[in-house]
Amino acid sequence: MASGVAISDDVIAHYELIRVRLQGTDEKERFKLVVMRLSDDLKNIIVDEKNCLKVKDVENEKDVFKKIISMLPPKECRYALYDCKYTNKESVKEDLVFIFSAPDDAPMRSKMLYASSKNALKAKLPGMKFEWQINDNADKDASSLVEKLGGSKIVTSLEGKPV
Amino acid sequence: MSGGVYGGDEVGALVFDIGSFSTRAGYAGEDCPKADFPTTIGVNAEEEGPADMGVEQESNSGRSYYIDTTALHVPRAGVELISPLKNGMIEDWDAFQAIIDHIYSKHIKSEPALHPVLMSEAPWNSRAKREKLTELIFEHYNIPAFFLCKTAVLTAFANGRATGLVLDSGATHTTAIPVHDGYVLQQGIVKSPLAGDFISMQCRELFQEMNIDTVPSYMIASKEPVREGAPAMWTKKDKLPPVSKSWHTFMCNEVIQDFQASVLQVSDSPYDEQVAAQMPTVHYEMPSGYSTDFGAERLRIPEGLFDPSNVKGLSGNTMLGVGHVVTTSIGMCDIDIRPGLYGSVIVTGGNTLLQGFTERLNRELSQKAPPSMRLKLIACNSSIERRFSSWIGGSILASLGTFQQMWISKQEYDEGGKQSVERKCP
Repeated sequence: MASGVAISDDVIAHYELIRVRLQGTDEKERFKLVVMRLSDDLKNIIVDEKNCLKVKDVENEKDVFKKIISMLPPKECRYALYDCKYTNKESVKEDLVFIFSAPDDAPMRSKMLYASSKNALKAKLPGMKFEWQINDNADKDASSLVEKLGGSKIVTSLEGKPV
Repeated sequence: MSGGVYGGDEVGALVFDIGSFSTRAGYAGEDCPKADFPTTIGVNAEEEGPADMGVEQESNSGRSYYIDTTALHVPRAGVELISPLKNGMIEDWDAFQAIIDHIYSKHIKSEPALHPVLMSEAPWNSRAKREKLTELIFEHYNIPAFFLCKTAVLTAFANGRATGLVLDSGATHTTAIPVHDGYVLQQGIVKSPLAGDFISMQCRELFQEMNIDTVPSYMIASKEPVREGAPAMWTKKDKLPPVSKSWHTFMCNEVIQDFQASVLQVSDSPYDEQVAAQMPTVHYEMPSGYSTDFGAERLRIPEGLFDPSNVKGLSGNTMLGVGHVVTTSIGMCDIDIRPGLYGSVIVTGGNTLLQGFTERLNRELSQKAPPSMRLKLIACNSSIERRFSSWIGGSILASLGTFQQMWISKQEYDEGGKQSVERKCP
């Protein structure tokens, strides 16, 4: 069952940008985080431009993970694509994580809309390996994401920080 | 509340949430239902039936119905109480129609042909019944568009989850329903009859043991104040019609339900005689004027929900306590989605409003769940949201402009027949 909300072309375009590394593009101009929200008329899922992060925005951050988390509003729902850099026992990995943030404090209407539209959005963004749902502050901890990426036995560091 | 609270396109849809205990109905987009009345209705099987206040129109079977709180509470000779639902599914279609007719004529006050209808259903509803309902909606009521939605999915969505385990403890059943990405996992549904009605039964036995008569207020003409524990002094109304047994029981149950809501409490750890004896007592006065203090009983009765092994009259049973219902249900789901289910256990239903219910469940689950699992219990704090969560969810969904494309339209029904419900509302 779904809400019938449509996915804007802009979202698909951003998905391609964060997913594919085109030759000749500046590494620093690449997206690190694409945040998506429902449009004001509640008909489309659009890119929330002011909350997106590019690689250059985080290169001087001490705690990249914290910066990423801070882009998700505390009392509103959001979807996000996060190009997560982590290392496991074998190698350095980069994987896209689909984030669904629905804080328990958000209004019921907004939770209902985002939860019922999630499947429609995911269907348009194929090949997503990891999905991470955030519902409260406890979920915003790095350990919660590490669990999704395979657990602390496999993942050794996240965004340059050891776990 | 103003109609502008939720905004969105105005489609004027209606939302019906018909449970085995109560029926909720109202306009989509509003934040609570317009009508909330018992699903139980009175039936007068006799043919003639005098022109009586509150009687609903005669149906084709010649029965007359008494629906809604007011009409139901008038004592009448020969009126039997029935419920159109059995096990959460529609059983008596004639009585079900009477309820729908009543909602349109008394609460909505509009023509069925003007409004799309979103209806909730039990997650285990059978295909035959869904198709029959669709047929009834389109053929009999001529409704322009229809959607059928599982209660558990609505509740999960309203709590911001597409995946989670919905624990619904209502009047007749306590059920655990796993929902994954917005779909109910049928094979994982676990039901137990330990719910509100079970607690009522236990209370009735307690009253019998204590020699307390449950006198429903309809019988009482006057009463005198008596000392605590002293026998009640009340006079019976004369000229009471000879009411049916089912009606009398229903009225007694209402007294018991009030007792349940005001006195009982779930112990936060497994029941212990000594701890229970130290519980602060609660003073409760029955409609008859009899009053006394309740102490250990407050904890002992609801204990059966979590630990059925010590309940009298149930020895040797295989019923599952609430904690077990949850773990069994999750255990029947694919191992990959179990963490997601344990991480979102959504508590809903009127019976969960018993004091201490969620705290005890949390404790039980943290002992039973595998230690590596992150466990989280989600329960709305307000009783309105907990009782109406599936209605509110339906209300939000049906008020969406974009949801229009999801409805089964009259035209689609005409082309595809009643099978369209399986395709459009999985």
